[in-house]
Amino acid sequence: MTWWTSKVNDPAAVSGNSSFEETVQQSVVLTNMESMVAWGRKNSVWPFNFGLSCCYVEMATSLTSKYDIARFGSEVIRGTPREADMMIIAGTVFIKMAPVIRQLYEQMMAPRWVISMGSCANSGGMYDIYSVVQGVDKFMPVDVYVPGCPPRPDAFMEGLLLMRDQIGQERRPLNWVVGSQGIIKPPEISLKESKREERMRMTGLRSPDEI
Amino acid sequence: MPDVVSILKDKFRLAVFSVQVTKDDFPTIWVDAGSIINMLDFLKNEIDQPYKMLYDLTAIDEQARNHRDANPESVFTIVYQLLSFERNSFLRIKTPLTITEPSIPSATAVWPSANWYEREIYDLFGVKFTGHPDLRRILMPKTWVGHPLQKCHPARATEMAPYQLPEPKQVAEEAAMQFKPEEWGLNKTIADDELMFLNLGPQHPGTHGILRLVVQLDGEDIMKVVPDIGFHHRGAEKMGERQSWHSYIPYTDRVEYLGGVMNNFPYVMAVEKLGGIAVPERAKVIRILMSELFRISSHLVWYGTFAGDLGMLTPVFFMFNDREKVFDIVEAICGARMHPSWFRIGGVTQDLPNGWKKLIQEFVDYFPKKLKEYNGMVMQNSIFKARTVGIGIYTTEEAIDWGITGPGLRATGFEWDFRKKQPYSGYENFEFDVPTGKNGDCYDRAVVRVEEMRQSLRIIQQCLDNMPEGPYKSDHPLTTPPVKKNTLEDIETLINHFLNVSWGPVIPPGEAFCSVEATKGNNGYYLISDGNVTSYRTRIRTPSFPHMQLVPLIAQGYTLPDLMAILGSVDYVLSDVDR
Repeated sequence: MTWWTSKVNDPAAVSGNSSFEETVQQSVVLTNMESMVAWGRKNSVWPFNFGLSCCYVEMATSLTSKYDIARFGSEVIRGTPREADMMIIAGTVFIKMAPVIRQLYEQMMAPRWVISMGSCANSGGMYDIYSVVQGVDKFMPVDVYVPGCPPRPDAFMEGLLLMRDQIGQERRPLNWVVGSQGIIKPPEISLKESKREERMRMTGLRSPDEI
Repeated sequence: MPDVVSILKDKFRLAVFSVQVTKDDFPTIWVDAGSIINMLDFLKNEIDQPYKMLYDLTAIDEQARNHRDANPESVFTIVYQLLSFERNSFLRIKTPLTITEPSIPSATAVWPSANWYEREIYDLFGVKFTGHPDLRRILMPKTWVGHPLQKCHPARATEMAPYQLPEPKQVAEEAAMQFKPEEWGLNKTIADDELMFLNLGPQHPGTHGILRLVVQLDGEDIMKVVPDIGFHHRGAEKMGERQSWHSYIPYTDRVEYLGGVMNNFPYVMAVEKLGGIAVPERAKVIRILMSELFRISSHLVWYGTFAGDLGMLTPVFFMFNDREKVFDIVEAICGARMHPSWFRIGGVTQDLPNGWKKLIQEFVDYFPKKLKEYNGMVMQNSIFKARTVGIGIYTTEEAIDWGITGPGLRATGFEWDFRKKQPYSGYENFEFDVPTGKNGDCYDRAVVRVEEMRQSLRIIQQCLDNMPEGPYKSDHPLTTPPVKKNTLEDIETLINHFLNVSWGPVIPPGEAFCSVEATKGNNGYYLISDGNVTSYRTRIRTPSFPHMQLVPLIAQGYTLPDLMAILGSVDYVLSDVDR
C-alpha cells in the first residue's frame, strides 16, 4: 500500500496534467484488505508492560521524551498480555521465571511478536549460571534479537523498527483461503550482514580522552 | 573498657574456640554452635554498647579450601556479622559445622530479620536451622534439586542439562508455584469471615520488577503480605567463584542495576584490602564523583516511578530527562550508560577526559532549579502528601532490628550514614549534611532522598573544585591491568600486565569486608581469597534484601493502594534483593 499526504493546493504534489488517474490518486487509496490490515498492525504495535531486569529500565527510557517511542506508534503499554501485540523480553530469563514468561506469552492473542532485548534474553549473555536459561528462544519463538548489555534505547528502537518492517510485509490470511493457510513471513534479515560494509569503513574511532 | 572479644571469652569461656585475624580488622571469633544463640542474645541485649543490628548472616562451604590456617575444623561455616552503632564497629562470629548433614539453632528468636537470611542459607547451602518458623526455599524454585552454593553444585548452566520446558514440566512448575494459604502460613478465615487473597506478580507494573506478593485482605484492609522472591536470582555470588578478581567487576554493576559504578566501589575496595593496594588520591575522588552522579541518577528513577505509583504520570518524564543528562556525563567519562564497570582494582579505568569539568559543572548549575520545580510538583502536591504522610511507618528500633540501612533508616530520625561514620575513599574530606526524617513514613523517606540529591550535588561540586592531580591508578603489581604506559618501560610491569590480563591477579589468601553507603542502603562485599585467581567465596550483602523483608510488617493494617506507596517508598531493586 503506497500513499502520501500533501498540502491542499500544493502545486508540487500535482503534475498538472489533470488526468483522471491523477485525480483519483489524489483522493483515493487503492489497496487490498490484507495490505491495509498489515499497515495498521505495523503502525500500532502495542507493547506488553513486561520487564525482567536491567534492560527493562532502558526499554522504559525509550518511552520517555528524549527517545519518544510514540513516534512509531508503540507508546501504548498494556498491563495485560491480552491487550498487547508485542512482548519485549527485557532482561535475564531466570529458570524460576521461565514458566511464567511462557504463560504470559501464551496469554497474548495472535498476531503477536516477541523482541528479545539484551544479551541475557538472546543467549544468557554473561550469565552462564545455574539459575539462568541460556536464551529465551529455548522455550518460545523470537522475532527480533537486540544485542547489548543493556542495549541503549536507540538500539532497542532500531529493533522495533526492524520488526515493524517485518510486520508490514507479513501476510496473514484474514479468512479461510485456498492454499497453505499459514502465515507468510518475510525472509529474516541479518543486520550483521547488511551493515558489514559500513562498519568495515569505520576505521577512526573517537578518542576516549576527549568529550 | 575491655574489648568485646575478651568479654565474650570471659563469659562464654570454652564456647569461644579461637580468634581469627582478618584483613578488614573486624574482631572475628569462632564459636561453638551450641552457645551461639545465647551469645547473640547477650550481644544484642546485655552487653554494654550492644550490637543491635544483625547486619549480615551467611555461610561458607569450606570443603575445597586450602588456606584454613589454625581455624577450627568446619564443613559449613555460618557467619554472623553484627553492627553496634554505639561502638561504631562490626563484629563477626563464625560457627563451624562439621557433620555432613549440618544443622544449627535458628536466630529468629533474637533477630526477626534472621528469618530470610537463614532461609537463604538453607536454600543455597542446605544447612538446616532448628526452630526456624518457616524453613522453605527462598531464592530457588521449589522444584530445584541441590543447593547451588555448595562447592559440588555446578556453576554454569552449560554444565547442566540444556533447559527445556515441555508442556508437562510447565504444568508441574505452575502447580509448584500455586498459592496454598496453609503452606504460606495464612488463614483462610478470620472468625466467620472469609478472607480474600490477592496475588500480585511476579509480573505486575506496581512491583517494579519480578516480585511476587500474596496479600491477605479483609475487605480492602491488608492483614498480611507474604513476599515470594527469587525470580531475579542471577547467581552473582557463585559467579564470583569462577570469574577472575578483575573480570568479576562487570557483574557487580548488575547487582543493583540503577547504581552503576557505585556497585564496583565496595568490591574493588575489598579486593584492595586483601591485596594491600593503596589507591591514589585522584582515583579516590574520581570514584566519589562517579558514585554521587549515580546516586542522583538512581534517586531520579525512584523519584519519577514513585510519583508514578501514586498516579502522577508526568514527573517520570521530567525526571528521566534529567537522568539522561546524568547519563550524558557518565557516557562521556565511562563510555557506557547503565553498567560502565569503570572502577578497577587499584584505581579507575582511565583518566577523566578533557573537558569533563565543564560538562559536569553545567549539570551542577542546572539541576538545583529542577529539584525546586519537582519539589513543587511532587513533594508539595496535596494528593501525593495524602497518600504518603503517615503511611508505612516504622520506628528506629524496628529499622535496626530488621537490618534497615540507608535513607530508610535515616527517615526514622536516626542520623547514620556510613560516609560520615566509617568514611571510606576520603569522604571525611567532604562537606555535606546527612538529611534525616522524623516519622519514618513514606513521605519522610521521600524527603530524605530528595535532600540527598542536593547533598550529592554539593559533593560533586567539591570534587570539581578540588580534584587532585596525579595518577588515576596505583602502581602496585596487583593493580589490574597495570598502567599501560609503564609496561613499555620496565619488564616487571610488563610481566604483571600479561599475567593480570591473561590469568588475572593472584590475590593473597585472607578475608575482607568492605561496604559503601549505596543508593538503597549499605552495600557490602565480603570476599574470601584462597590465594587464587578467583575468589573462594563472594558474599554480597545488599540493602534491598532486608528492606524487602520488612515490607510485610509495615504494610499491615493499611489498605491495598497504600501497599503501592509503601513498595515505592522502600526503593528496592529486585536484582539487589535476589542477587
